[in-house]
Amino acid sequence: MKKDIYIFNGGRLVRKDNTLLFESVEGKKYIPVNNIESIYIFGEVDINKSLLEFLCTNEIVLHFYNYYEYYVGSFYPRECLNSGFVTLRQSEFYIDYVKRLFIAKQFINGSAKNIIQVLRYYNSRNADLSQEIEEILQTLELLNSQETIEQLMAIEGNIREKYYKCFNKIISDKAFTYTSRSKRPPKDKINSLISFGNSILYTIVLSQIYQTNLDPRIGYLHSTNNRRFSLNLDLAEIFKPIIVDRSIFSVINKKIITSKDFNKDLGGIILKDEGRMKFVKELNDKLETTIKHPSLENKVSYKRLIRLEAYKLQKHITEGEVYEPFIARW
Amino acid sequence: MEVNGTLIWYYNICKREVWLMSRNIVPDQHNENIDLGKFLHENSFSRKKKEISFGSVKFDVILDTKEKLVIGETKKSSRYEEASKWQMIFYLKTLRDAGIYAEGVMLYPEEKRRDEVLLDSSSLKMLNEMVNEINLIMEKEEPPKAQKCKYCKNCGYFEYCYA
Repeated sequence: MKKDIYIFNGGRLVRKDNTLLFESVEGKKYIPVNNIESIYIFGEVDINKSLLEFLCTNEIVLHFYNYYEYYVGSFYPRECLNSGFVTLRQSEFYIDYVKRLFIAKQFINGSAKNIIQVLRYYNSRNADLSQEIEEILQTLELLNSQETIEQLMAIEGNIREKYYKCFNKIISDKAFTYTSRSKRPPKDKINSLISFGNSILYTIVLSQIYQTNLDPRIGYLHSTNNRRFSLNLDLAEIFKPIIVDRSIFSVINKKIITSKDFNKDLGGIILKDEGRMKFVKELNDKLETTIKHPSLENKVSYKRLIRLEAYKLQKHITEGEVYEPFIARW
Repeated sequence: MEVNGTLIWYYNICKREVWLMSRNIVPDQHNENIDLGKFLHENSFSRKKKEISFGSVKFDVILDTKEKLVIGETKKSSRYEEASKWQMIFYLKTLRDAGIYAEGVMLYPEEKRRDEVLLDSSSLKMLNEMVNEINLIMEKEEPPKAQKCKYCKNCGYFEYCYA
């Protein structure tokens, strides 16, 4: 499995002969190009066209973040896997509202069921969450009868709000109290971690979609016309609880990240560089963790699961194989 | 899409693969078997002429002998012997249709092995049947369902098919 590279320092990323070189005040570091899937840039990094061309031939996606942890954009090289047939089918499933609604429901279904799995785990440990689990299950029952995407979004929002409130029972450290969801900028530390984690997950999913015939611009839950990429946001919904949120609980409960890792800035709370590094490391460990896959009879990493999810969706639209979202079993 | 040597090859391995290929749904490019295949292709027989295009077919090598023309196809192992043989027969037929009489040889550099392939009337008949069936598969709206066989495990479509 190819690796992802994260650059937090400032410096220069260049093509050097047939590989990559990162030059910074700390010195030169060669990065073997064959083994990279994506590069994530957080620091102030200079790049040039010859580098972009090189990344393009090697099919490496480049993701940029600014100082305030916001996603800036991606260098998404010319599509390496093109199938006009798949693109047309993907559009057809968007335009046909019934087909679109079905896929959108499956995303929320997957997301909510994974949320419940996370809650059940903590319910069996130190937090009493049975009431919340029951409420979320009840809300989820309404899903099937909804007829518009907007109604689905409302249900999703409702579930998420209930779920985020549970964070206060899961996390014992009072410095990480959650009040309400706030973005751009996040108003507390928990929100800061959620936003940062989610934005990384979006780009990780984007890189996986790049390796399939799917077009990331056509999403089903998140509408296609008001942003550049949307399918990655859709697929990310399923994985947020089991990848991002579990990493959040882990870094806080193990005291890997503490209040010292945050800065108050621009009326919001953001992670310092070192905090970001620690959180990204945790996320990456999670992504590389393998589980036994029920139908592949192989061990697959969480990152690979994202790719498999994209394959399943692709088969849903091209082969009529009904898409069932991945649900964690514990 | 016109039937070509690659499709003949896939047909003899997996019918589903024929359909996927015809829609340009290609296997996982980072699958280690595919990587190895590419590497071998690029690095074997570097001193001979290679990749000779003739119409819709491409030969890996042409081996010149005094009395006859022999075309060669490199494969990384004889695991796909049957499929490779039919691909070669397809090449020989394409050449014959153009009035060129040639013989074929399968090259397995890793096994230091070579197999000769000839075009005769019975193989020609079977080849024509294959071409018809391939056309039928490609016309279908949906691909044949995945069926586990001995080739699945190392296939670049494995995860795609069984996810």
